[in-house]
Amino acid sequence: MSMAEALQPDEFAATAVRAVTACAGLGVREQAQNLAGDGLLGIVADEEVGGLALPIGFAVPVIAAAHAGLLGFPLLETILVSRLLQSSLTRLAAAIVSGDKLATIAWQGEAFAERDGGLLLLNGSLARAPSAASADHILVRMSGGAAALIPADARGVVVEDAAGLDLTVPEHVVRLEKVEVPHGSILPAGTWDLLSSDANVLRAAAILGSAEACLALAQEHASTRRQFGHALSYNQAIRHALARQKLGLESIRHAITRSLSEVGGPVQRDAAFLAAVTYGGSISEGALQIHGGMGFTWDVPVHRHLRRIRTLQAQGDASGLISTFGRNYVSEVAPFAEAGA
Amino acid sequence: MSVLEAVSTQSVAGEGLTGEAYRDAIHRWLHANLPASFRSDSAAFAPPTQQQSVAWEAAMYRAGLTGITWPQAYGGHGRSLREHLIANQEIGRLAMPESVNSIGKELAGPIILAVGTEEQKRRFLPAILEMRNIWCQGFSEPEAGSDLAGLRTRATQTGDGWRINGQKIWTSGAYRAQRCLVLARTGALEDRHRGLAMFAVPLDAKGVRVRTIKSIDGRESFCEVFFDEVEVAQQDAIGAPDEGWAAAIRVLEIERATNRMYRAWRFENELRHLISACKADPALSAMVADRHYAVRLGEVAVEIEVLKAHVETAVEALASGDKIGARGSLAKLYWSESHQRFAALAIELLSQASLPQTPAIKVARRRFEAIYLAARAETIYAGTTEIQLGIIADRILQLSRGK
Repeated sequence: MSMAEALQPDEFAATAVRAVTACAGLGVREQAQNLAGDGLLGIVADEEVGGLALPIGFAVPVIAAAHAGLLGFPLLETILVSRLLQSSLTRLAAAIVSGDKLATIAWQGEAFAERDGGLLLLNGSLARAPSAASADHILVRMSGGAAALIPADARGVVVEDAAGLDLTVPEHVVRLEKVEVPHGSILPAGTWDLLSSDANVLRAAAILGSAEACLALAQEHASTRRQFGHALSYNQAIRHALARQKLGLESIRHAITRSLSEVGGPVQRDAAFLAAVTYGGSISEGALQIHGGMGFTWDVPVHRHLRRIRTLQAQGDASGLISTFGRNYVSEVAPFAEAGA
Repeated sequence: MSVLEAVSTQSVAGEGLTGEAYRDAIHRWLHANLPASFRSDSAAFAPPTQQQSVAWEAAMYRAGLTGITWPQAYGGHGRSLREHLIANQEIGRLAMPESVNSIGKELAGPIILAVGTEEQKRRFLPAILEMRNIWCQGFSEPEAGSDLAGLRTRATQTGDGWRINGQKIWTSGAYRAQRCLVLARTGALEDRHRGLAMFAVPLDAKGVRVRTIKSIDGRESFCEVFFDEVEVAQQDAIGAPDEGWAAAIRVLEIERATNRMYRAWRFENELRHLISACKADPALSAMVADRHYAVRLGEVAVEIEVLKAHVETAVEALASGDKIGARGSLAKLYWSESHQRFAALAIELLSQASLPQTPAIKVARRRFEAIYLAARAETIYAGTTEIQLGIIADRILQLSRGK
């Protein structure tokens, strides 16, 4: 029996909750060590690099728990990069899985390659790289859907703080100016699409975790806060608003499940992410509204989830994706003809 | 009837097929046998007559496409709920007419299976599947729409049966039905949901009067049904008298979670039809390629994927032995509101078609204008949106009333 057959994805949720709690107040590198100790950084990476070689579905409850608990670590990126590098950069992949090296991904922008003799030099301005200021390596997109792994301390790499909503895993911009990259650090065309497809499922999981936390906070507040002689949840407007949030939450959950089932493919993965953005956004905003003025305070954590959800939306380029999704759908339908109707 | 003369009598149910082979057999049977005139995405479409609908659905039953999960002892095909889903996916992928006996197959039948006597199962269930008995649902009343516990229709025990007096409303298809599943009060009005009983009332009984109501789509499908001293035999009482409300709840949960399981795949058929019609029109072909409408159509496609996920999750839960309970409200709320948004988008797009209208646009407008109007009822029947939200708040979130 393989490990995947012996385990269930939900079994990792409890481990993840415990690990996330243990990470509170720690620096990024200490968090990496903690998470690695629980096997969470290499959950989908091969056993050769110290991973657990489990399907991506096993990362779903882990990512959901990490986001529900506001983990300040780029876990989604680490999990994906460790698997991506396991064949071509085995030692580095092992170091990432063990928490000795930190890696992240610049989700926005593209690097352009130029050749200088036998050297490959990368230029470009990239953004939406979570925790890049702490990372040892940054994965960037190249033209044609290829990707390159850049050492963060290489000559010509500048990592800067960026304006961004997420307080928990802050984003950075990355500028590349004639950055020399070994050919072995270039990952082939098609890499980015596969990476994005998996990332979309995990983003949906991340939003699920945050949305679940928001709904729990809103429900708790509505049940305990009294106004006009009743708990807020006495009022139908509040009850119905929370019921709609629950519908959205279960829609995200079911869409993720379907995307990982035997009928799941790239379309279902993109749909899961797009549904998560729609419902996660409204759940977090709705939770803030139900908290009233308290929801607008720094101390109530709903805004932290709202910030993360909107950041994940941008990292996955949801507005570009829904446009592509719709255009692809339209293009696959033939014009009406009676015989084919 | 001529359009149905060539319908195959071959069954796909008894061939021992499973999985994709079962799906393929259903797909082939439907494509070979569904008359073009029954397809609302065809220029040849002509709404089937009552007689044609009955004949078509009887043929579907003989082919193994209805009564899929019902026990063979009562005329069913004894297959699994997952196979029921497979069949419904294939049914949904074609623009077929809705069943004229969905109340029989999806409400009365399951409730009789759950609480009926052995005699009732043998008497009623095969007749439903063979389309000899068409059923309607007598739950709502003028003073008890969403609040069924307030219903006033009264059932009084007589020496050897029951006498029913009262009035039902919004009773879809009563004018064409032979039986009505009537929920009636045996106790006091103050008892609310206690003392309710359920009856299979023959609509040709003395004292039953049916009056059709014209609906916004111009059809006269739903009805008022009046019961004036109607004598009902004891053998037509469904379940024990005090179990009426529990049985009603079970019916409604089944209705919300599993009825017309093909919806997501039918909505997909509708979306593909809409796009295909637009792509055959000079003005609309450019519009649907443009970002604005591509995004909106993409949003519909995403919602269809999510609806499929709701349905498949419910099937897996039921197939694993779970009770669906209040979770049926999630799917009902989702599909009804999603379909309304889609229908509004469809008529918005089609209203911008080139002139003169192409045959494709004429077919699509006829179909989607009907869908748009019909969809307005979808957030009302089987429990309004507000009722579903209340159920989710009460029974899933278990929100405190907090007095």
